[in-house]
Amino acid sequence: MIRARGVRKSFGSAIVLDGIDLDVESGEVVSILGSSGSGKSTLIRCMNGLEKLDAGSITIDDFDVSRPKDLAEARKRSATVFQLFNLYPHMTAVQNITLAPIQVLKRSRAEAEAAARTLLDSVGLGARADAYPAQLSGGQRQRVGICRALAMNPRYLLLDEITSALDPEMTAEVLNILAQLAKNGTTMVFVTHEIEFARTISSRIVFLDKGQLVVDLPTEEFFAADGGMARPRISQFLSKMRKD
Amino acid sequence: MPFDVTILAPHVPFLLKGALLTAEACALALVGSLIIGLLVAALRTSSSPLLSRAAFVYVDLFRNIPFIVQLFFFFYGLPEIGIYVDAFTTGVIALSIAGGAFSSDVIRSGILAIDTGIIEAAEVSGLSKPVIFRKIVMPIALRTSIRPLGSVFINLVLTSSILSTITLNELTGSAKIVASDTFRPFEVYAVLLIAYASLTYLVSLAIGVLHRRLNRDRMPEVA
Ligand SMILES: Nc1ncnc2c1ncn2[C@@H]1O[C@H](COP(=O)(O)OP(=O)(O)OP(=O)(O)O)[C@@H](O)[C@H]1O
Ligand SMILES: [Mg+2]
Repeated sequence: MIRARGVRKSFGSAIVLDGIDLDVESGEVVSILGSSGSGKSTLIRCMNGLEKLDAGSITIDDFDVSRPKDLAEARKRSATVFQLFNLYPHMTAVQNITLAPIQVLKRSRAEAEAAARTLLDSVGLGARADAYPAQLSGGQRQRVGICRALAMNPRYLLLDEITSALDPEMTAEVLNILAQLAKNGTTMVFVTHEIEFARTISSRIVFLDKGQLVVDLPTEEFFAADGGMARPRISQFLSKMRKD
Repeated sequence: MPFDVTILAPHVPFLLKGALLTAEACALALVGSLIIGLLVAALRTSSSPLLSRAAFVYVDLFRNIPFIVQLFFFFYGLPEIGIYVDAFTTGVIALSIAGGAFSSDVIRSGILAIDTGIIEAAEVSGLSKPVIFRKIVMPIALRTSIRPLGSVFINLVLTSSILSTITLNELTGSAKIVASDTFRPFEVYAVLLIAYASLTYLVSLAIGVLHRRLNRDRMPEVA
């Protein structure tokens, strides 16, 4: 499981995460909602070790991301998909996907490539396996990004607004894949502004506000009039998101 | 005296030998300066303040000293303290060190231009720093800096003519000898002009090919 305890993070004088406690069990899909600047991305970046915590701890299957010795193991167990894809521009789709399995998991090239092609097939990109990122549409790039993450056989998938750089059609392409993954029991921490989609795939919804975890509720309860919606901050946020 | 290149015919083998020496020295120095350039660029962009400082001093030093002075120091200065190296080796090393300083600067800008998100994606996937440098940072930096690197390499070829001042009979050195033997400096140096122009043209052709190869994914967009 992913376990965050008392996570604090400041940039200069701005407190961005103000004591976050959060557990994500295997098999759960936990969506993190919150307005812009509430600290969602920072929380994800603390989970994958891109930001150092000021205080508190985050462990992934008991490996502490703040300990250099543990971080490698924690990173083997989790994989991140990024908002702006962050594909390696000089590598084909297959090369993007096989790099870490070959280098980190010490898979043979043949084995890694076969797995990569299977993954690409499963997201409808079998024919584009040897294309470079610049030759793919945004939606296709993000599907490659997802395959790159999945190729590491992660126990936890960390997703930070992975559709917000995409137009609605491409968003649908990518969300369909996530729905499939959720159905297969993939554990996901899902930062998103796609409220309705989050509602359909999440087991729990977490709401961040100004660096604090305001609520952490099962999805049904979060959207119930007497649950999360009873809080003005959340109902405001949801009605604003739905208007956009 | 009419312009008559045929007068040089008996000297062609000698001049060719010189040209070959130039080509050899340049090829070795090109590889040397690329390796030094990559290494120093890596140090300059490393997170260690000591290493990046040391790399900066190297670049600043060798870019601000005339090449001929560096060369004389290596060839005539070092033997004074007991270090003897032959002219060819000295020339290649000096060219590599000077070329390395310029290359590293170009490669460094290539590294700094890399989208940090790409590096973060690599880090998060568990790749080690050396692998990230070799497989991601270096190739991306090279594809953006290959054109300016081409200018550095062309300069290297031009600068190699200075090696004639340390007894090395490369292209310029042999031309000087032929000119004084034949008393036909006009013809000799006209041939020399063409020889250097051809050599640098070859380098820029190769750079063009390399640039297209490294950027093959964006070829429709890159003019
Ligand atoms: N590297 C940084 N340096 C300084 N401030 C930062 C840095 N990263 C984030 N911040 C600040 O921290 C706050 C939280 O940022 P974060 O990106 O976590 O928000 P978010 O919830 O992901 O927002 P969004 O929905 O817009 O993506 C913001 O005010 C942001 O300006
Ligand atoms: Mg964000």
